[in-house]
Amino acid sequence: MKKKWISAISGLAVGVLASTVFFGDFSPKQPTSTASAKTNAEKVYVPFGEKDEYYLFASGGHSGQLFVYGVPSLRRIRTVPVFSLDSATGYGWDEHSKKMLGGYTWGDLHHPALSETNGDYDGKYLFATDVANSRAAVMDLKTFTVKDIISVPNTSGPHCAAFVTENTEYLFLPTRFAVPLGDKYESLDDYSTKYRGVMSAVTFDENEQKLNIAYQVALPPWSYDLSDAGKKVSKDWAVITTYNTEEATTNLEINASKEDRDFIVLFNWRELEKMVKEGKYDTVEGQKVIFPEKHEGGIYLIPVAKSPHGVDVTPDGKRFIASGKLAPLLTVFSFEKAFKAIENKEFAGERNGIPILKYESVMEREVNPENALGPLHTQFDDKGMAYTTMFISSEVVKWDPNTGEVLDRVPVQYSPGHSVAAEGDTVSPDGKYLVSLNKLAKDSYLSVGPSHPESMQLIDISGKMEVIQSAPVDPEPHYGQMIKADKIKTIEVYPKDEKNPYAVFNQKDTRIVRKGNEVHVYGIAMRSKFIFDAKAKRPDVIEVNEGDKVFIHLTNIDRDEDITHGFAINKYNINIEVQPGQTNTVEFVADKAGTYPIYCTNFCSALHQEMTGYLLVKPKQ
Amino acid sequence: MKKAKLSISSALIISCAAVLIGASLFFPWWGMRFVAPQYPEGLDIIVYPNKLKGNIDIINGLNHYIGMKPFSEESFPELSYLPYVIGALAVLTLVVAWLRDKRWLFGLIIVFAFGGLLGLYDLHRWLVDFGTNLSDDAPIKIEPFVPPMFGENRIANFVTNSYFSTGAYMIGAAFLLLILPLWKERK
Repeated sequence: MKKKWISAISGLAVGVLASTVFFGDFSPKQPTSTASAKTNAEKVYVPFGEKDEYYLFASGGHSGQLFVYGVPSLRRIRTVPVFSLDSATGYGWDEHSKKMLGGYTWGDLHHPALSETNGDYDGKYLFATDVANSRAAVMDLKTFTVKDIISVPNTSGPHCAAFVTENTEYLFLPTRFAVPLGDKYESLDDYSTKYRGVMSAVTFDENEQKLNIAYQVALPPWSYDLSDAGKKVSKDWAVITTYNTEEATTNLEINASKEDRDFIVLFNWRELEKMVKEGKYDTVEGQKVIFPEKHEGGIYLIPVAKSPHGVDVTPDGKRFIASGKLAPLLTVFSFEKAFKAIENKEFAGERNGIPILKYESVMEREVNPENALGPLHTQFDDKGMAYTTMFISSEVVKWDPNTGEVLDRVPVQYSPGHSVAAEGDTVSPDGKYLVSLNKLAKDSYLSVGPSHPESMQLIDISGKMEVIQSAPVDPEPHYGQMIKADKIKTIEVYPKDEKNPYAVFNQKDTRIVRKGNEVHVYGIAMRSKFIFDAKAKRPDVIEVNEGDKVFIHLTNIDRDEDITHGFAINKYNINIEVQPGQTNTVEFVADKAGTYPIYCTNFCSALHQEMTGYLLVKPKQ
Repeated sequence: MKKAKLSISSALIISCAAVLIGASLFFPWWGMRFVAPQYPEGLDIIVYPNKLKGNIDIINGLNHYIGMKPFSEESFPELSYLPYVIGALAVLTLVVAWLRDKRWLFGLIIVFAFGGLLGLYDLHRWLVDFGTNLSDDAPIKIEPFVPPMFGENRIANFVTNSYFSTGAYMIGAAFLLLILPLWKERK
């Protein structure tokens, strides 16, 4: 009995052993689907029905527009007009946008900056500045439309703006060009005494959706280049790079590159705020302007390798990294050391009434990756590692700000200005992607003649850096911000604003009201008709007299997703847009007698072609 | 007929029916859902005894292409008095439960059944009215049609699905609860 039992067990054991030997798989287990096993095409492919992980907001430079891309696909999703007229959206023809643009037909959009809460993007607003005409704009990320634009007096070309403080208390607009206060005439021979590089502190009122200038600082007549606000320990502080401390007035290429050192301006905006409260300012052109030579405190200079461009605060807020455009090295500075030096008043003299901190007492280390030339701009990943674009050697270099050790580098095509990492300038970067914004795309895409497109390259930074996607771009995205897509909460339809006196929500309420030589049209647009006066014989006709001032208030009563209407009048140079549920107004003088067809410009339905009407302008008797 | 008092349990069952009738006021009774290629998420008309809900404006916007009159709460006078009728019915049911009189219950059931049929007829009448009185001026001409009170239908690019909803089922349940005592106490 016992024997039988043993032989059964041993028989079974032999069987298992034999089958394992012959059929067992001893090869190392292969993970089936890891990121590293994916091809680059798979990594960037976003199938229809799925959406990108990030929004990339890229400045459109002198197009005056903002480009919105999806990452990782690099598909352009939208072009938002900010400082330029845009006939595709009627921007610049309706009253609100016309007023905001203030007569300018273009702008040079620089450095979009997302609003922040506790140093992290909150997805509510995006700010941008206009270098051409010294303006600042705010875009609402619920609708991706511009809500307000302000002109900034006493200043010219806020290039290194906008950058926002940790809780969007301020966005600062330091200027690229020094000009006399109030845009007055002053001889260039008096440059050093009469010219100023003014920095403006702008606030945003969310309820009123208005930008305001809180105060300005009359910095010395230098060119201010890039800037960043502090975070965490350094949250009350901000840093700006400046060049032309030579105060040259001609041939800057040579004359602003003479000195070996330029400066970083380090300032404490809490202290400046306090100075304004205490009345330590002069009023110039209606602005409260702090003159550092009259009221000391809050502003310091730190020497830096000549003609610096980027200055970027590390995610932990402890350091700031400056890149010398013409000096092939990066300098890591310590906020803590700077604070200590300020406390101990370790100054190495002063310039224009502003104390200069000693380079050695603020500097932590110099980093000089071999053969890397033209460091411009630094972004960060989730581990605090730095990624710096090298404009001249056309590459992105990854390095460790704690040790200065170079960790990785990848070539890009060609000449990267800025780069943007996923949430790469917040307190908590995502560390997944980095987009290199390249100035030249030579031979990368189908030729469109001598002027090539610019180029964006997506770099996977989750492991070893690798360029995984390239896309041609209109001129000229040179700065960007990348935010996690789920942080942005757009609306699909404008909420019914019952208080808006110009809105009409029911066709029956449409009417044309005449007041002297003013004609007010309260009309609606719906699929697929305009109704300007429901009781008229022809409800889609506006009849006025030559010389009348005409106001057309148009409400899109199609409160249905994606049903936008346009409104254009032939030969009257009028073209506006009404998004679902929106009320918009256009105002013009009917100064040409005649018959002018009106039509819907934005395809709305199968009967879009029939969505027309007439403007009849009766000639003067 | 001998005067027969209904049992306490029957009275409780009838009271339950009264509660159901009253509560049904707060639930949708009937609805229609439209699905088309460009509306994969569907558009809804949801009918409560006193209001319309759903994507009425959007549906009206689309219906004007085929010349259908726009829906609105004003176009259905029933919505203004139906809550009172239903409320009264709930109160009446409660009274019947309290009286515990079989003849009253009979009467109530007859009123209830008649009312229910009238309601169904009314709904049908509206469906015929909206589906067949299409404007001659409509940009898109289609054959007049009657959407079903219950079930699927196809009209142009829309698949419509009509259905009874919570409130109607509560009324149905109330009706069964009213019949239950008769069956329970049958001789």
